[in-house]
Amino acid sequence: MDPSILRWPGANLCRNPFGELTRQERAELAIVDLEPVLSHLTDANRDRWLPRRAYQFIGECGRGKTTHMLTLHQRFEDSVYVYLPEDEPCPAIPLGSPLLIDEAQRLPRRVLRRVAESGSTLILGTHRDLSRPLRRHDYEVVTHRIGLTLSPAKLATMLNRRIAASRRDPDAPVPSLSLEVAGELTRRFGTDIRGIESYLYDIVQSQVEHHGEMRFID
Amino acid sequence: MAKCDLSIELDEPDRVYGGGDKITGTVHVVVDANVKCKGLDVQTNWRTHGRGNIASGTRDSITLFSGEWTAGQNPSYRFELVVPDWPPSYHGGYINIDHCVHVRAKIPWAFDPKASRDYVMRPNRPMDSDAIPAQSTEVSGCVGYVVAAVFIGFLVFFCGGMAAAFAANPIIPIVGSVIVLPIFGFIAARYYLPKFLLGNVECELSTPIVSPGGVIEARLAFQPRRGSAINGITAALVGSEVCVSGSGSNRTTHTNKFFDESQLLQEATRLQAGSRQEFDLKFQVPSDVPYSFDLSDNDLRWQVDVRVDIPRWPDWTRSLKLLILPGEEAGHAAQPAADQQADLDAASEITFAETASHIWSSREDDEQLETLVAAVTGMTFNLETIIERRLLYAGDEDPHLYPDGYAVWARHTDPPLPLVLYVPHDLADEFEQAGRDPWSCRGTIVGWDHQHRRLQVKVLAQ
Repeated sequence: MDPSILRWPGANLCRNPFGELTRQERAELAIVDLEPVLSHLTDANRDRWLPRRAYQFIGECGRGKTTHMLTLHQRFEDSVYVYLPEDEPCPAIPLGSPLLIDEAQRLPRRVLRRVAESGSTLILGTHRDLSRPLRRHDYEVVTHRIGLTLSPAKLATMLNRRIAASRRDPDAPVPSLSLEVAGELTRRFGTDIRGIESYLYDIVQSQVEHHGEMRFID
Repeated sequence: MAKCDLSIELDEPDRVYGGGDKITGTVHVVVDANVKCKGLDVQTNWRTHGRGNIASGTRDSITLFSGEWTAGQNPSYRFELVVPDWPPSYHGGYINIDHCVHVRAKIPWAFDPKASRDYVMRPNRPMDSDAIPAQSTEVSGCVGYVVAAVFIGFLVFFCGGMAAAFAANPIIPIVGSVIVLPIFGFIAARYYLPKFLLGNVECELSTPIVSPGGVIEARLAFQPRRGSAINGITAALVGSEVCVSGSGSNRTTHTNKFFDESQLLQEATRLQAGSRQEFDLKFQVPSDVPYSFDLSDNDLRWQVDVRVDIPRWPDWTRSLKLLILPGEEAGHAAQPAADQQADLDAASEITFAETASHIWSSREDDEQLETLVAAVTGMTFNLETIIERRLLYAGDEDPHLYPDGYAVWARHTDPPLPLVLYVPHDLADEFEQAGRDPWSCRGTIVGWDHQHRRLQVKVLAQ
């Protein structure tokens, strides 16, 4: 396996676009509409976070909750992102504006109470609706259900951004994924973006030495 | 639109660099508008990509320029950097490791322009054997007895429990048996039934560490307790990429077997009871195979899988782990972490700023970071910090928190190493009043916060 061999010689890629990304890369490449979040959580001038406001993303695994959270975290310098691991003690939760808590359904009740008592502006990624305990502490909560729909156009845009971010020569073109292929992928995988990425990883990897045009579907 | 564009020109772009070599080149800047640059930083990095979570590290870093650029200027800056000793460049199916020279211009209130240029690195020196983790290839006798004792204890407890439950309600032991008996069955089939026929099987590697082109040697010996037929005895040298993506409940392990070479040690035959069988295994390792590595969630593993295939009976199997590492022919080297450890040991009067600099430069390399933090844990320093924010919840399980004390996020002044400060209650006023000004204190390093990537320091009461 000679590392000096050029991979995907015909596609101008420096890496498989559908491999894992860092948190920062995920946030940079995400397509997220921040407007609904900001309109609920900030004042009319968009320069102040409103206390006792919460916005929760609810959805199944692999639908984009964490990507939404990371994008918001990167966008706002004073924000704090906290991920709650499974079967481990609750980690430290700092004050943040806003405070983003991923996998928030794992918050122990006493910690959730302490967070709610602080009145901090909250953005939650959760599998369980947490609006009731928050409303008990006078929070106004908006729920955004993620992954109910995924249009071929949006999917094609998302995937083509990942391909563009893996470009080797900045002045040469890279392959792009058509609307037809995106439509076929949504028919096969529904809204499971993680499943689509995993499938495409194998497809692209199988063409690592191909000189011809890249295919994205069998 | 960026106010300047960066590009990197390597003096020897096609050269294969060895660990510790110097890489030289030029950074070219094309300035489109007047711009202030807080630092033009260039560094030698490595980074994994593929199916696993990304691991990365930095070996050397220098600031080439800071100041003002004016529109129309096209300045160039020469650089010379040290190439990392490890890991080597690698391109596989699930894991890839690329080395690059990376440059970034820090521009206030704007996106930082960046550029990078890949190069190929192959280790030209063997690994320090002290840096290689010990590989256990067999369960030791003592551990084996403990496992057996636990197994028998559990069996006694289970049977007693079943008898008691049967007296109370006959349904409970039936349900319990459906769950537990298959587990016992599996353990018996896996470990005890092959031993019942073959007796104690000795299987060990004589060469747990080899180089590409070398020979792996192992030995298999047993004395059957009972006469039985076997379909054959095989050994296979297996190389696989094992990587993990996601975290928490989304954590998934991916395995890609890229090398599998089998040897038939014994064809189908009938073994006689008491007749000792001995086999010497030899595998010639091809000269172009990739090295073993363990980079957080991206591992390349080698092992020898030995199997005694017994018809209509569970097979006896064992995996012997081994390391394929750079060989002697290339001289002698040490791991970067070991270098920095030696630096730390040498400096008995090290300051916190020096300690923070070592940790700061290793912050992308988890393995190196662990070594450094372990080395300085328990050391007490004077330090100057900028307070960032107090914690809303510090975690009741956090053993470092003072009773009625506070946990605070802060950073060191230079380098800006993120810190968690555990502050006693009587210093609350002092750090509250510090605001954004530097706050000096004396504290003991107590660990590393892996989730938030911060050095934990317990501030001492004055």
